[in-house]
Amino acid sequence: MDQARAGEFDAFVAARWSALLHLARLLTGGDRHRAEDLVQESLVKLWFVWPRIADEAPEAYVRTVLVRAAARSARRRWWGERPVEQVPEAPVAGDVSAAVAERSRLEVALARLPAKQRAAVVLRYYQDLSERQVAEVLGCPLGTARSHAARGVARLRELLADVIEPVG
Amino acid sequence: MDHFEQQLARLMRDTEQYSPFGPGHRDRLRAGVLARRRVRLAQKAVGSVLAVAGLSLGLFLIPDTAPRTEPGAPPPRPASSPPHSSPGATPSPTTSATVSPSGPTPTYSVPPTGSDDPYGSDDPLGSADPYGSASSPGTASPGGAESPTHTDDSGGETHPDRPESESPAGIPTP
Repeated sequence: MDQARAGEFDAFVAARWSALLHLARLLTGGDRHRAEDLVQESLVKLWFVWPRIADEAPEAYVRTVLVRAAARSARRRWWGERPVEQVPEAPVAGDVSAAVAERSRLEVALARLPAKQRAAVVLRYYQDLSERQVAEVLGCPLGTARSHAARGVARLRELLADVIEPVG
Repeated sequence: MDHFEQQLARLMRDTEQYSPFGPGHRDRLRAGVLARRRVRLAQKAVGSVLAVAGLSLGLFLIPDTAPRTEPGAPPPRPASSPPHSSPGATPSPTTSATVSPSGPTPTYSVPPTGSDDPYGSDDPLGSADPYGSASSPGTASPGGAESPTHTDDSGGETHPDRPESESPAGIPTP
């Protein structure tokens, strides 16, 4: 890849890193380190196809790779994690706040969903994709994607009943 | 989209935390790209080696199974003469069935050089073959005037007898 393309790639990654990491975090049910691994893996794959899809839809490509990698990694039992002597990131004082508590509740609730349902819900409500686009990203029929999303939302209604109050 | 779904979408967006793409992430991404590039190169190398090995194995096995037909080879005959029993026995199967007794003269005078003659070039014992020994000076001289005289002499002595003696009785001779 030439320098101009490499510069475009770096700019894309710098601009979209935060959003991709949040998407991966939702897809993994709040596992930050696994989310970073997935984003890295997806961006490495994007690097090799960047000259072909840089002018088209690189974010859609990364999203598809990310969702499928998340579904694949959810089937694994061991993530290649090894114990270390020092924890890489210590919690800061601001973590204990209402916003973080709300996010933690959401991530815990998402983590209790099956991977396909979680991906369908995240793509439908966070990425704001249509049902057909969700089906394309998941690689399944439209009815199956619709079913995954509906079941996932129904389960989240139960889990997040105290966080999201129903309208009276 | 009902109220819960709207609140769910808002919750997913509002909980996004800005995290910059730092140098540590960049280094890790580059290391991942290099590692994947090495893996791809290794896969290509292994694939090339396997392809060459398979091709070599195929080329090694195929000639043993299929008979090779050469363009200048004589057509198979039901019965052939012993190849080196007589000095002029080698070219006789081609001329015996196709050329009349008056015909062998132009047939044997066609190859002026020994290198183009498949019989002369395949015969390792060139000194025992009178055609090989006669054609060797012919190859040195570009004129080719000697070859018709040699072939006329030898062809006149040997060829009219061979088709009758060597061809089987069942094959009609022209």
